[in-house]
Amino acid sequence: MANSIHIVVEPRKTDEAAAPASSLLTRVNAGYFTICLSLGAQAVLLNTLISDNDRATTKSPIVVADRVLGPWAVLMLWLSLCTLALISCLYLLRCCFHLRLVKAECSDRVAVNFLFVPWISWLLLLRAAPHRVLARLPHEVLLWALVAPIVALDIKLYGQWVTSEKRSLSAVANPTSHLPMVGNFVGAWAAAGVGWRETALCLFAVGLVHYVVVFITLYQRLTGFRAALRPVSFLFFGTPSAACLAWSSISGGFGVACKMLFFLSLFLLASLMCRPAYFKKSVKKFSVAWWAYSFPVSFVAVASTQYAEEVKGAAAGGLMLLLSSLSLLVFVAMLILTALNTDRLLRQNDPSLSFT
Amino acid sequence: MTKDEELPSLIKAISDHEVAGFDGVEDPHTSLSGTEAVEIEDVREMHSVSISMPPSPLEHKTKRVLFDDDSTNLAPPPAAPTTMFYSQPIPKASALHEAITNGKSAPLPPPPRVNKLRDKRYDSFKTWSGKLERQLTNLRGRPREREPHRVEMGSVPVDRYFDALEGPELDVLRPSEEILLPEDKLWPFLLRFPVSSFGICLGVSSQAIMWKTISSTESTRFLHISPHINQVFWFISIALMVAVAAIYALKLVFYWEAVRREYHHPIRVNFFFAPWIALLFLAMGVPPSINKTLPKPLWYVLMTPIFCLEVKIYGQWMSGGQRRLSKVANPCNHLSVVGNFVGALLGASMGIKEGPIFFFAIGLAHYTVLFVTLYQRLPTNETLPKELHPVFFLFVAAPSVASMAWAKMVGSFDFGSRIAYFIAMFLYLSLAIRVNFFRGIRFSLAWWAYTFPMTGAAIATIRYSSAVDNAVTKTFAVILCLVATLIVAALLVTTVVHAFILGDLFPNDMAIAISERRPKSSTTRRWYHRRAASSDAAVDQYLKFSDAKDVEVVETQPAGP
Repeated sequence: MANSIHIVVEPRKTDEAAAPASSLLTRVNAGYFTICLSLGAQAVLLNTLISDNDRATTKSPIVVADRVLGPWAVLMLWLSLCTLALISCLYLLRCCFHLRLVKAECSDRVAVNFLFVPWISWLLLLRAAPHRVLARLPHEVLLWALVAPIVALDIKLYGQWVTSEKRSLSAVANPTSHLPMVGNFVGAWAAAGVGWRETALCLFAVGLVHYVVVFITLYQRLTGFRAALRPVSFLFFGTPSAACLAWSSISGGFGVACKMLFFLSLFLLASLMCRPAYFKKSVKKFSVAWWAYSFPVSFVAVASTQYAEEVKGAAAGGLMLLLSSLSLLVFVAMLILTALNTDRLLRQNDPSLSFT
Repeated sequence: MTKDEELPSLIKAISDHEVAGFDGVEDPHTSLSGTEAVEIEDVREMHSVSISMPPSPLEHKTKRVLFDDDSTNLAPPPAAPTTMFYSQPIPKASALHEAITNGKSAPLPPPPRVNKLRDKRYDSFKTWSGKLERQLTNLRGRPREREPHRVEMGSVPVDRYFDALEGPELDVLRPSEEILLPEDKLWPFLLRFPVSSFGICLGVSSQAIMWKTISSTESTRFLHISPHINQVFWFISIALMVAVAAIYALKLVFYWEAVRREYHHPIRVNFFFAPWIALLFLAMGVPPSINKTLPKPLWYVLMTPIFCLEVKIYGQWMSGGQRRLSKVANPCNHLSVVGNFVGALLGASMGIKEGPIFFFAIGLAHYTVLFVTLYQRLPTNETLPKELHPVFFLFVAAPSVASMAWAKMVGSFDFGSRIAYFIAMFLYLSLAIRVNFFRGIRFSLAWWAYTFPMTGAAIATIRYSSAVDNAVTKTFAVILCLVATLIVAALLVTTVVHAFILGDLFPNDMAIAISERRPKSSTTRRWYHRRAASSDAAVDQYLKFSDAKDVEVVETQPAGP
């Protein structure tokens, strides 16, 4: 009698030929904004290095590099602006044509955190823009336009963590959960930069409280995190650096609290560097998630420049040089790897960031 | 019936081949000379039913000790234990065997020297499985022995420690477990010397600091304490530190495997911070008459090992896996965290600016995580003691030292220090009130490590009383110092009693000798005879622990990711 089970194996049709534009839209999800984030962070780092040298009164070998860094900083700025504009357009198109996919992103516990990244990227770009350009832009309006979505997403996500049973923090906590807090801290940093002290303080306080909770939760029970997304673990030290930058901007100097946050991020950086086995699985295949290696290191480097400015000394200067060169190295490596693997990024489905 | 059938053959096989080399050095008849062949025979027969020889093959399976001739791992026991003996005769015994069977005083090998009868059962725990010791004996010119195959010891996963051990310090073997070393013999001293012995150094050196603080602070000057007490304590702690460190260094050299297993033990690993913290205490307690200011590089040298250990241990907590914090959190983890604060305190008192802030920040972040985790008492946490135990006093350590460190870093006992200090006092009082529940607990050397929080709280109170100078705070300071002193004195008496009168200060360290695989008890229930226990008691034990095992199995399964 027909009680047998027929298993039919159909060969999957892979389209290696030129992919239609719509499939490109299906692939460009919010995770691609990490590229822009890294570019923006690098631009900020270069700007900080240059402006530090402007203020430096002592002769140091870095002053000579000012002439070299200057054009690079401009180039980086333009590059990040173009990339950001491009990916933003693509994502807007995706929202228009593939709303279903965007909704799927919102409900996935990892992808929803990446929704903060576009706003953070634009904020970083704003921060990296030179003053004469900023003066011409209605940058207060821009700032409002960028901070408001972060606040809205905050309310939605943090509320979900506390009140929802299915999507509570203990159920969804993973290293990408640091991204909302990075959004808060970068927003506070940008707001303090234009003088909105109370807004900055508010954003900072909310971000700090949730950072403490996420920090404890992740330290306690980090299990079963996708190996391909392990690069996002660099956010462990990226977030305290962002907090350090925000607080130094708010408080006007690099006080003890900033130093403590900076040292914490240094320690976590050292701790992760000493565990190469943790990242072994994720470095086998290149993916967009690898861009998450770059921007936390840039954040630490920016914080170290401020630290070196505050604590003048050979050790601090050396640390700044070390971290800046590390950040540059990682960034260049990512650029090269992306250039070598553009086909994979644009045509093939990225397994690490596919949320559908 | 099978037992009866096998029993005679077992005796026959073992008595001729195995007794000579099998039982090793403790076997008295091997050291008898050939003229006493008749006695040998008697003794041999006696030994064939002695405790060290299991009377039944099944029983033997339950109590397998790992011998160096045994090249198989513990997991699959051989089909018949006798085959093992058949296949591996010990050639050394042949001369003796002839003598025994012939019954005359045949030329026997000269009375074996001690190193020939070196108990090979401990070799798996020795450095390079005993090769180091053999090299050393070769250097001394003794004859080389035959080198049987050594068992490679793998790394024990954390789950095995939880399964095999119980108790608040995870050092009591569960009855259903088997260990790799003989249970009825007293192991070599080095194997019995746990890393928690460094707790003695912690306890005594913190006393030195306390007496130094009492004699040098303004608010306690009315007590007229002489600085000589601090000197005496300091010299005693130096001597203790040198002694304990030397012994443990010897253990490192000769029993590397045992040290490795202690490192993998979820509770003992925290005691690896203890030597460095004790060194920091020694630096803090230096009598003013010897040295007023210490060189700054000394601080960096002292903090480097702590930093390296921390990167490793905190990284383990963070990266998940089998040693994640939700699974292994226990009050002894405070030892991993308090080192940061102690280092910050020492650095700030030496005048260093940035380093103390670094360690204070790390300590604060990780202390918060640990504190919340312990307070939560997560169901996945397997190491929290169910009942109260002196280990809980470690809760008081971190806030009290943190308050002192912050005061030194900032320059005065300000709000941050006071908040930390009051937290420490609250925890101290909430534990002290429950002192009734601390009775009836087995003493262990690690208890010395639990005294330093009380001393630390006393020192913090002295500092607080110098900031807030009135009669209440002074009285409180005096009371706490008295309590700390009394506790240390009582502990000293207990230690002396255990060391000299009871003689069990260093019992066999079960925690390091657990087997790497779970003993096969899931399908076949074994009867575990232990010194001729009655069958009823055995049944009770069997039922009790089989149930516990089932419950454990059920509980651990849903705890997975």
